[in-house]
Amino acid sequence: MTVAVGTPEPRSVVAQVEAAQERARTAWRLKFAATWVVLIGLILIGLGATGNIDTGFISEWGPFIVGGTWLTVLISVASISIATVLALLGAFGRLSSNAYINGVASLYVSLARGTPLIVQILFVYLALPQIGIVLPAIPAGLIALSFNYGAYMTEIFRAGIQAVPRGQREAAEALGMPERLIVRRIVLPQAIRIVIPAIGNEFIAMIKDSSLVSILAVEELLFRARLVGQQNFRSLEALIIAAAIYWILTIAFSQVQQRLERRMARSDR
Amino acid sequence: MHVRRAMPMVAAAALIITACTAPAASPSASEMEPSATENPFADVPTVVCVGEATTYLDWLNGDLQPDVQDPIEEPADTAGDLLETVQDRGVLRISTDANYEPQSFREPDGSWVGFDIDVGSEIAERLGVEAEFQHQDWDIITAGSWAERWDISVGSMTITTDRKELFSFTQPYYFTPADIGASTRSGLTSLEDVPFTLPDDAEPVTRPTDANCIEDIAANRPEFDLFITSGTVIDAATEAGQPVVRISDPLYQENLAVAIDKAGPDHDALLYEIDQAIGEMHADGTLTELSMKWFDEDLTQDPGG
Repeated sequence: MTVAVGTPEPRSVVAQVEAAQERARTAWRLKFAATWVVLIGLILIGLGATGNIDTGFISEWGPFIVGGTWLTVLISVASISIATVLALLGAFGRLSSNAYINGVASLYVSLARGTPLIVQILFVYLALPQIGIVLPAIPAGLIALSFNYGAYMTEIFRAGIQAVPRGQREAAEALGMPERLIVRRIVLPQAIRIVIPAIGNEFIAMIKDSSLVSILAVEELLFRARLVGQQNFRSLEALIIAAAIYWILTIAFSQVQQRLERRMARSDR
Repeated sequence: MHVRRAMPMVAAAALIITACTAPAASPSASEMEPSATENPFADVPTVVCVGEATTYLDWLNGDLQPDVQDPIEEPADTAGDLLETVQDRGVLRISTDANYEPQSFREPDGSWVGFDIDVGSEIAERLGVEAEFQHQDWDIITAGSWAERWDISVGSMTITTDRKELFSFTQPYYFTPADIGASTRSGLTSLEDVPFTLPDDAEPVTRPTDANCIEDIAANRPEFDLFITSGTVIDAATEAGQPVVRISDPLYQENLAVAIDKAGPDHDALLYEIDQAIGEMHADGTLTELSMKWFDEDLTQDPGG
């Protein structure tokens, strides 16, 4: 077979198409980024144009509000950790063939998901002391947040465990592996790999929901922003600062989570 | 083609700019002189804003019961008293609502300042312990049943008959006038201008604290133009450039004291010691000095005699 003179080789056609696609992708990304920059710029300019933004206030009180970030992150990390343990127990409970264990786990999930998180937070802090259980604000917040998220994550874990192919378990049984070992060595490692991206999602949601404990006067981001905003009649600036930090935190953790997701998906190919 | 594609973005940008710049126009409208009708204040709403769980709300509802503290005698037996717990801990835990300038508020470095903070620190010092302040919402403090999360309230709490069911009070450490404040946009400068009778024809509306009433007016919210709080709070807000003004002679005097939760552990000895400390602070001029520092006037003398 001969190739006509003047026509490009097939490989170089592919390369040209790829290069064109790459250029189109780059252009798309640039337009996308420009849209963000322009919109955020417009919002900032618009706010500035009202003449109601006090930059002196922001530089004076900004550090105090930002100082609440570490507590927000700490509460989120601690709560998601406790919630993960609860969820693991809950998931096995929900999958149990024992009616009592299954009943307990199902009741937990139903209660925790069927009542508002803010009611649970207030309940732990304000209602429990009446029956002699007195918790300081931060532990009360941690308990309520983990109780609530543990229930949602129970369902994630249950789905993760069920997603492990049945054949894996059967193969292990065929090899004579005892039930406990099957769970620990075969099912759990694969289930955890499946649920880790979902835990990342829950963590991002937790960062935002942790702001609810501000009603217990826990000095995290939102509490500080509200206190300072009200005290100085500058809620606009104070809440913008808090919102910006929540946003940056969630963007940062979304990046981490996406990378994690890609990594976890690698062995599925 | 490109232009057409950019249209939605331009429209969105225009919308945002309009939305952002619109509020700038409204304050100037509110500063307009009221039109010269027969009663320039006829439009002032009958709604009066007060903090939740305050005596101001009681006054508006017609069931204010100002009271004095019960006599405090030195207890014979102090074993197991809250005083021992505080001394063993070396820390006196004091609750107050930090959104109440000039009584208690925060500095940019996070530290606590204000008249109540100075008084609380001084009490702790005279007891020989450290003061530790914690923020609590005012309605939580005044609800009682503190579950031993903190020891005392130094938060300008008015002694009332109802509250004496829940709290042990020391002698008052100062006295403030309860006053009516008005928004400057209302044009009101005197209580006589108010176009309805107070408190009978007024409709109460509550916010978490009195400071939130001022915040709403500063934000140009239309619901109310009148609010009741301590005259010191109104003056501090006016001084900070907020659009509010004090329009009344004092409605009544508030006896403001340190409170301890009756549902908590025995505290006769702690109450006695704090009451003694306050007595000394009255006698040696410490309280007068602090009052001059924060209020520019001496509010520590009992106006009732």
